[in-house]
Amino acid sequence: MIAVAIDEDVEKVRGAADGITYPVLIDADHVVTELYAISNVPTVVMIDEDDTIVHPNWSAFASDTFREITGLDSARQLDRIRRWVRDDELHMSAEEVKSAVDDLTPDEERARLHFRIAANLRRAGDPDGAARNFDRAAELAPHDWTIRRAALPLQGKDPFGDNYFALAAEFNEAGRPYHGVTGH
Amino acid sequence: MTAAPGRVATVLSMGNDTTTNDVLLLEDGPLVDADELEATLGWTLKPQGLCKDDACVIVPDPEAIRSGDQLDVMAIADLLDRPAAADEKSGLVAIGAPRDRRRAALRDLRAPDFVLPDLDGMPVALSDHRSKKRLLVAFSSW
Repeated sequence: MIAVAIDEDVEKVRGAADGITYPVLIDADHVVTELYAISNVPTVVMIDEDDTIVHPNWSAFASDTFREITGLDSARQLDRIRRWVRDDELHMSAEEVKSAVDDLTPDEERARLHFRIAANLRRAGDPDGAARNFDRAAELAPHDWTIRRAALPLQGKDPFGDNYFALAAEFNEAGRPYHGVTGH
Repeated sequence: MTAAPGRVATVLSMGNDTTTNDVLLLEDGPLVDADELEATLGWTLKPQGLCKDDACVIVPDPEAIRSGDQLDVMAIADLLDRPAAADEKSGLVAIGAPRDRRRAALRDLRAPDFVLPDLDGMPVALSDHRSKKRLLVAFSSW
């Protein structure tokens, strides 16, 4: 297990990672969301011993905390992961995996780059420059949670509550786009 | 705009490993002198095209990558099939990973390697755990 926080708040992530023995990494520049076309969290990818992706980006949850919102059964998802780890059992064919994740559009790529510029300007003490680039990223990828929601705490805004519900309404209106598989 | 002499590709944060992650963040805008291109992007401009090690990429229109006496790294990134974005006001230019790396994941099912710091700041690569099954979990506090 390798957990990658699409986040730069090390202390918050450390709190969530208390007692965990596997690697927990910080992806403050959203490198992994670019390389794997990840648009929301949690997203899980199964990678086998020789670096082959055997299950694509998957909206999978470790608990049923968000079941009311997602409709996903975490026990069923965990069972599928266990069966792969223990018995090499897969529930998608290679052909299905290959067609499961849409590539990023040029706008979604550029959104990630402007987010990276914004995050670096913020760390360098330029909140106006950061806001300019967070806004540009949001225009380019309005329904990408790793762009829109991840920017909220970096601009001193609450990523939960009203701000979350406003983003969720836009996301639902757009047909809940996700780069990967959901619902199983 | 004149680039500072001896300019190199600047990595502004520890999350970027320039060799493994292959993403860049440059200061001082998208224009570089020809002799700075290698230090900036890792490629050099030769008569046969843009070259790195033994590989060369043909430049169909040499004027398209020039701006006055300088080279435009955004246009060069495009030729190298890498996305690029610039923030004019700050001069920061972000060059993304070659698109082939993501296509390898999505279409050839080859997991792209990456290096990121752990909670203590120590670099960890996906490939550090090769020959094991790996469950990559992207999560966040937001």
